[in-house]
Parts: sequence; C-alpha cells; structure tokens
Amino acid sequence: VYLDHNASTPVHPEVLAEMLPYFSEVFGNPSSVHGFGRAAREGVDVARERIGRFLSVRPDEIVFTSGGTESDNFAVKGLALARGRGHLITSRIEHHAVLRTCEALEGQGFEVTYLPVDDQGRLDPDDVKRAIRPDTIAISVMHANSEVGTIQPIAEIGAIARERGVPLHIDAVQTFGKISIDVDAMGVGLMSFSGHKIYGPKGVAALYIRRGTKMLAIQHGGEHERRRRAGTENTAGIVGFGKAVEVRAREMADEAARLSALRDRLWEGIRTRVPDCRLNGELANRLPGTANIVFRHVESESIVLGLDLKGIAVSAGSACTAGNVEPSYVLVAMGVPVEWAMGAVRFSLGRATTAEDVDYVVDAIEPIVRKLRDASPGQRAVASA
Amino acid sequence: VRYSAVVVDHFLNPRNAGLMRDPDGVGEDEYEGCGDLARFYVRVRDGRVVEARFQTYGCGPTIAAASAASELVAGRDVEDLVNLKAEEVERALDGLPDDRKHAADVVAGAVRAAALDHLRRRDTDV
Repeated sequence: VYLDHNASTPVHPEVLAEMLPYFSEVFGNPSSVHGFGRAAREGVDVARERIGRFLSVRPDEIVFTSGGTESDNFAVKGLALARGRGHLITSRIEHHAVLRTCEALEGQGFEVTYLPVDDQGRLDPDDVKRAIRPDTIAISVMHANSEVGTIQPIAEIGAIARERGVPLHIDAVQTFGKISIDVDAMGVGLMSFSGHKIYGPKGVAALYIRRGTKMLAIQHGGEHERRRRAGTENTAGIVGFGKAVEVRAREMADEAARLSALRDRLWEGIRTRVPDCRLNGELANRLPGTANIVFRHVESESIVLGLDLKGIAVSAGSACTAGNVEPSYVLVAMGVPVEWAMGAVRFSLGRATTAEDVDYVVDAIEPIVRKLRDASPGQRAVASA
Repeated sequence: VRYSAVVVDHFLNPRNAGLMRDPDGVGEDEYEGCGDLARFYVRVRDGRVVEARFQTYGCGPTIAAASAASELVAGRDVEDLVNLKAEEVERALDGLPDDRKHAADVVAGAVRAAALDHLRRRDTDV
C-alpha cells in the first residue's frame, strides 16, 4: 500500500503511452528546422498549450525546467539577480529549494525575512504586509506545505503583493493538479509546479512567469524557452507532463473529494484506535490526500520501518541520517513540542488509494505503535532539538 | 530490506521489553547524535544475570539491538558484562548498516551501566 504520493507518483498509463514515441520515432531536436525537429517541437508546443489552458494563462508564460527545485531556484534567483540588490520575504516552512536559495542570496548581499507560521502551519498575511520594505523585491511562499498539507492564504498575500508592486512567487509543487489555482485571482506572478507529483514523469517541471515580470535567466546557452532557460528540451518528459495535466483537468475535482474522505477515514480510524496521537494542522484547508500524524513517545522511523515490513509505504517526519536525528523544521516552526515531533508520520494518498487500503493501514498501525510504546521508557530526555 | 532477518525479527517481536520492578542493577545510555535512549534492568543471582529487561526509544535497529542484548546477557557473569562490546551486540544481530552502528553502541553502553550499577550496589551492601 503506497501512501507516499507527496514524495512521488506513478506515471499514469495514458501519460506513458503518449510519451513513448518521443523516445524513438519522434527523437528530433525541437530546435532543428527539419521535419524530425518540427515533429518534436509540435509535441512540446501541445504540452505548453495544454498547461496554459489548464491554468488559463498564455502558453508563452510557461517555461519548462528539470524539476521543482530548478523552478524554485530560477524564480527566486531570477527575480533577485534581475534587481541586483534588495530584500526578499519568505517563510520558515518553505521547501529547501527556496530556503537554501534564499540563504545563498544572503551570502551575496541580499536580505531575507523568514516569516513564522501559526500552530496550524499558516502564514499571517498581516505579517507579510508588515515585512514589506521599500527595497523588498520579491515574496516567495509555498501554496501548500508538503509535510503537513496546510494551504496558505495566497489570495490575501497576493492582494498585498499586488498593491505594493512586489512580485509574488508561489511553490505550487504540492497543489498543482490537486486543487484549483487561479493565478490572476490569487495575484501570483510566478509559480513552480512539477510533473511527477501528478502522475507525470520525473525530471520535468515548469515555472509560470507572468508576462512583463523582470527576470534574469539562471541557465545560459542557446535560445530555448525564449531565452529564459537554455538547454535542449526534455521532449518526452514535457509531452508526458502536458498529458498528465490534461488527465488532471479531467480527474482533479472528483479525486479531491474522494481523497479528502479517505484521509478523514484514515485519521478517524487511527484516532479512535491509537491513544496519544494528534493531527498536525487543521483538517479543513489542507491538501486533499495529506495527513501528518504524530505519535507520542515513539520515533517516526521505527513506525515507518514497522509499516514497511507490512508492505505499507509512508514517510517519516523526522529523519535519522548517519546517527543524527532532527525533528522536522516545519513541525518545529509550527510549535509542535519536540517529544511529539519526533514521532511524526506523513500519510499522502493518491489516485490508487482505496478504502480497503486505508482500513489495512489503520489495522496495521495500532499494534506497531502499541509494541513500540511497550518497549519505550515513556519519557525521554531530549538531547538535541 | 536493508536490515538482517535477525534485526527484523527482534524489531517485530521484541523479547524482554518493559520495566523491571526492584532490579539488582539498572543503567542507561543515550546516543547524543540522535537522542536514542536505551535502559537496561538486570536481576542477578550468584553473580550471574538471570533476567534482563529493557526500555528503548529510538529507531528500529535500536529496539532490535536491545532485544537481542537482553537474550545475549542471560546467564552471563556480571563482571564480564562491565566490558560488553558493541561488536558483540552487533554480531548477535547478524550485522547493522554503517549508519545504524550506534544502535549497538547505545545498547552495549546501557548493559555496561546496568552491570556497573549492580556491582556498585553489591559492594555498598557488604
């Protein structure tokens, strides 16, 4: 049972079928003028149009990249470097692709404000308003957090950004194709989104850049993507991405309702069977398929291992790498006590998830947590936090 | 799986987990790096461990290591256990991945601490 869809998803069969010819017959370089090149260009153009239609934006506002991380780097560095100096605003719970990019920019003389979130993981738009300075050049906020699933009040932040004339970038990698996005209504200037979170292939993503936004390219070379991103297009990947978006346009609304119900069934099941657990973030206003649950007095990695041995794939909220464990910085920013945060497990559901899967997980997790607690000293001193 | 069958078995069915009332020795060790904690209790008759119990907080291998060690020490001379090496615990588990060696370290440390605690109590009683 795979409940780690926020990490990655399988390629949809219709997507795979559409991609396959682009590995063999339609192999040309989209920049070539001959027939082979034109055929490949046609595939890239169709994908761009599909995505443009889905988002109700102009196709030429879409720039294809190699992944969400590149899109985030491109957006934040592209905005900053085009202005040369100044102040950026972001939050403490961003993906590392944004956080570390901001840190790198600090090393180059830019100033960055990292805004806090409340106990539900939500930014306060008033904090954004207060943080804006005359030299603020960009705001970058994620649409929904990948670990907890909390959806940010982007429209309110976007209205502030628009009023103050500051470009707003959102990292929509976890929301694109899962909930509806209206970049105009939300005041979004740039948006990162990725293929492999929505049943498309890995290695392809995009950045929406509103027309007229002052940007610098990060990757230099040929004239690709209207000189915004050099490099031969990942034709098969882009074609697959476009098809994945077309499938999402068809399935998104029904699946969101179905996954929300399954997610609530999962939380209800766990809550009634396992004592001393809690859900991080409010149940409303979150990604349809995401539940982040903490189990007190047990370590998430041992729960993940226990579930893995039952054939269940979930993700640990804290990671022990080479003997060094840290609770999730997102949960810490939300004020979750460390003794709880260490036992965080993320369940992320997807199109293959059934009610039977959910019930199987609920049945499996109760004895795993009970046994771990039986063996646990109950309280533990927190050495590192 | 990245863990041996022995690790998986001890993790799924930990032996001797839980508190011991009125132990003859108790000790714990904590791994600073990740905060894994192991606590060992021993009951001793005629200088030998007749029963060991443990409580751990940590990743799967730490729980497995504690369970394996609780069997490993049964019948052993407490004076020997003061020198119990992590390698011996690891051997009992049929090996650990490099990034999980600390599981054996923290468990061996807790066993040594429990053995020392017993010797200290014994010497104080005399």
